[in-house]
Amino acid sequence: MNKVTGLVSALALTFGFSSASAAETTMGIVVKIGGIPWFNAMEDGITRRAAELGVRAEMIGPVSADPALQVQAIEDLIARGVDVIGVVPNDEAALEPVLAKAREAGIIVISHEGPGLQNVDWNFELASAEGFGEAHARLLSEQTEEGGTYAVYVGSLTVPLHNAWADAAIAWMEENRPDLVPVGDRYGVAENVDNSRSTALDLIGANPDLRGFLAFGSQGPIGAGRAVEERRRTGEIHVMGPFSPGQGRSMIHSGVLTGGYMWNPAQAGEVFVTLGQMLAEGQSIEAGMDIPGLGVVDPDFDGKDIITDNLLEINAETVDSLAEMGL
Amino acid sequence: MTALTERLARLKNGPTSENLGLLVMLAVLVVGFAILSPRFLTAANLGSMGFQMPLLGLLTLAMLAPILSGGLNLAIVYTANVCGLTLAWTLMQFGGAEAGMAAFALGTVLALIVGALSGAVMGAVVAYVGAHPILVSLAMMIFLRGLGEFLTRGGDISGFPDYMRVLGHGSVVGIPVPLILFAVVALAWHVLLRRTPHGFSVYMTGSNQRAAQYAGLDAKRTLVLIYALSGVLCAIAGILMAARFNSVRVGHGEALLLITVLACFLGGIDPFGGHGRVVPVIIALVILQVLSSGLNLIGANQHLATAVWGLFLIAVMVLRSGRLEQMLSLIMRKDK
Repeated sequence: MNKVTGLVSALALTFGFSSASAAETTMGIVVKIGGIPWFNAMEDGITRRAAELGVRAEMIGPVSADPALQVQAIEDLIARGVDVIGVVPNDEAALEPVLAKAREAGIIVISHEGPGLQNVDWNFELASAEGFGEAHARLLSEQTEEGGTYAVYVGSLTVPLHNAWADAAIAWMEENRPDLVPVGDRYGVAENVDNSRSTALDLIGANPDLRGFLAFGSQGPIGAGRAVEERRRTGEIHVMGPFSPGQGRSMIHSGVLTGGYMWNPAQAGEVFVTLGQMLAEGQSIEAGMDIPGLGVVDPDFDGKDIITDNLLEINAETVDSLAEMGL
Repeated sequence: MTALTERLARLKNGPTSENLGLLVMLAVLVVGFAILSPRFLTAANLGSMGFQMPLLGLLTLAMLAPILSGGLNLAIVYTANVCGLTLAWTLMQFGGAEAGMAAFALGTVLALIVGALSGAVMGAVVAYVGAHPILVSLAMMIFLRGLGEFLTRGGDISGFPDYMRVLGHGSVVGIPVPLILFAVVALAWHVLLRRTPHGFSVYMTGSNQRAAQYAGLDAKRTLVLIYALSGVLCAIAGILMAARFNSVRVGHGEALLLITVLACFLGGIDPFGGHGRVVPVIIALVILQVLSSGLNLIGANQHLATAVWGLFLIAVMVLRSGRLEQMLSLIMRKDK
């Protein structure tokens, strides 16, 4: 029996014993997967903002990025009777029935990175697909004075978001820099460092007028940067795209990587809590409102989307502080 | 010889002590969580657990039979996915959300056939080629995954008729429909394994395939049949998954694969085949669900929760195993 009591006390250590008064708003935010830097930063944001507003909010990160686990976590939150459920979906369609259930139970549902979700009160984005793609295109245009060609990477040809970024970037380039044209079609290699590197080596060899890489997908800029470094073309071929600051830190400092944009997961965590508390208090979201963390918003009432452009630039000045946040 | 009769007796009457250990653990958990959270024993939470457990439960039963026969079926999740795709594809041919009941019935039958076929192929390769079940089912898993990804291009099929929602989220007199489905399947599975000649063959084949063969049982046919039935259960799981998520995609439920193996072993199934019962496995499933929902309910720290989860699993095994005593008595005997 001693074993059992020992276990129960071990379990007791993990409880968040806190004084929950009845009036306090409670929130549960289910993210794609727990224990990775991106969502650790989001959890910091959630905890910080919850303390500021005096609400109870916690993040739930499933052990693997499987929508089945997200459905279970949301069902547990409904059973627990929280006031607000936040979610960063792994698969939008798979969550619709359980989110409908949550809303039937009178729970407010907020999502992030889920623009297609129907059963939500609001979905918010810190970066629009157009804004994000165009920001990178503008960066490429600034770096490259003479005309030539550039290559476009996406994580995979089936990632809708990456392709939307690439579409926006290519459209912006066509309009503003007709002298710079994309080489070939886009390449679906940017989730893999080795594929990104070898594709870049081939492209550099085949295209003497190659001026830059627009790499959408976390490993694309790193792989392309390595290829540029190997061929000693630093400064002639510019590499940009979103990547993990911790991973690309030294390459930014050596000038192989020009930089890129991302959004701040900690800020997204704060917005979850801010928006949740506003909606729980019965406030409605209006056009032109200034919401902390989002800025002045222009919501799309039909699609229930609040899309803003709160981009964070990754460059030689910002990369160290971003990397220190663990990103 | 006494060992053999003992084993046969165990096989016949069932080790009640094994169930007892699990039930004690379950009771401790339920009482513990009930004290820590007033919400644990509410209808809302019990209902939520009732909706969550059947999917894992069906997949675990699909894993159970091959393990009893001395094998393993690693392809369960992807078989379920591909069967779900079969149903989804059929529904889409008849107008997606507008598809009638007949289309659903046809899709279900097709899904069951696909499940049975993929299982039977695995069983046939295991039985007649003599390849190791781990390799065969791993190959099948990769094949089904690739096939599914090829057919869907990694995307999902969603938007099913409204009546499917009842299957995934409905209740009958307060009991979740998925739980009723699971109870029926589990009962059928129990009867099949314990009360039919086929079930007897499965246990005997699992104990010693060659001996079973010499004793006049058609061990090879048994293997084909058991993998086919396992595939049918996967199909049922796949249909339930489609109903619960209102969408099908290759990879849904991937995380459940190892948990099904775990539930089987927690439920006292012999990893080498031949021994084990359905009832303790179901108790083990309930324990896993109570643990998972309970930890979520009390808002346990996510990072520590995983560690506590592991600790509990070890504890359940220690408490459950009559083998602990067996080992102790073995050591004692050696000392003498």
